[in-house]
Amino acid sequence: MRAEELKGHLDALLLATLEGGPRHGYAVIETLRQDTGGRLDLPTGTIYPALRRLEQAGLIAGSWSVVAGRRRRCYRLTAAGQRALAGRRAAWREFAATVSAVLEGGPCPDPA
Amino acid sequence: MPGPGLIAGYLDTLSRQLPGQVVEELADGLEETYRRHLGLGLAPDAAAQSAVAEFGDPELIAAEFTRAHPARRAARRLLAAGPVVGSCWAVALVTGRAWTWPVPAAAGILPGLALVAVVALLAFAARSTRYRPIGRAGAAGCIGTAALDAFMIIGVLAADPAARWAVAVAVTASVGRLGLSARLLRPVLAGSG
Repeated sequence: MRAEELKGHLDALLLATLEGGPRHGYAVIETLRQDTGGRLDLPTGTIYPALRRLEQAGLIAGSWSVVAGRRRRCYRLTAAGQRALAGRRAAWREFAATVSAVLEGGPCPDPA
Repeated sequence: MPGPGLIAGYLDTLSRQLPGQVVEELADGLEETYRRHLGLGLAPDAAAQSAVAEFGDPELIAAEFTRAHPARRAARRLLAAGPVVGSCWAVALVTGRAWTWPVPAAAGILPGLALVAVVALLAFAARSTRYRPIGRAGAAGCIGTAALDAFMIIGVLAADPAARWAVAVAVTASVGRLGLSARLLRPVLAGSG
């Protein structure tokens, strides 16, 4: 899966990786890699500016710690981030169900 | 950071464009990536090459950080608010016949020049593709906007103490933008560190 196809979804994916607890940048990348079976073809360095953007939006909070003599920045989901993730999830389910109904046939979801 | 020169060169390229704390975080991730490739059995040079390739073009990373700089968003918000606040003041000055006020000519010219400078700084911060200048221009733009608003509020109230509705509206708009500038300045300074 190419980076362009991820546009608009990367933020939700990053928020979801932090749902299980605080992680540093590389651990976020590793979680994404594992959860997608290595199918994401994304320059991993670009995850860091995306994390910074989410932090500025107040959806995640970053803090420094020292691990093995190196300073490391860890991120955790904020309450606003949890709400945003829930909203993104609901929107994704509706979107996926609607597109699937057209591409694969079947009932269209109720526009409730 | 230990590791072959390729990684050090990569981090040097990033250091020329991004602040130390950002590079420090990237260095930590790059070292973890390098160690993972070493753990997969690659030789140090090959592991460094794979790590750098996996991380991506440093110019692209710097560009993404630049796009995410809080000064860019701050500058765009202040530029968007400019015409609204400016229109309020224009109405207040015209309806108050500001050209008849007993103020020195410099008091009329200097705010105009300052306004041009502030707009130029904010426009630069909103459009520049380089990280460091964006922070400086954005911070100066926020401070300049706040100073202009403060000058207009104090200056107009002192020159024309008659309370008119147009002045009240303009002062309210400027106070609102002053608060916005102060609120935006903090993340701009933090992002420029």
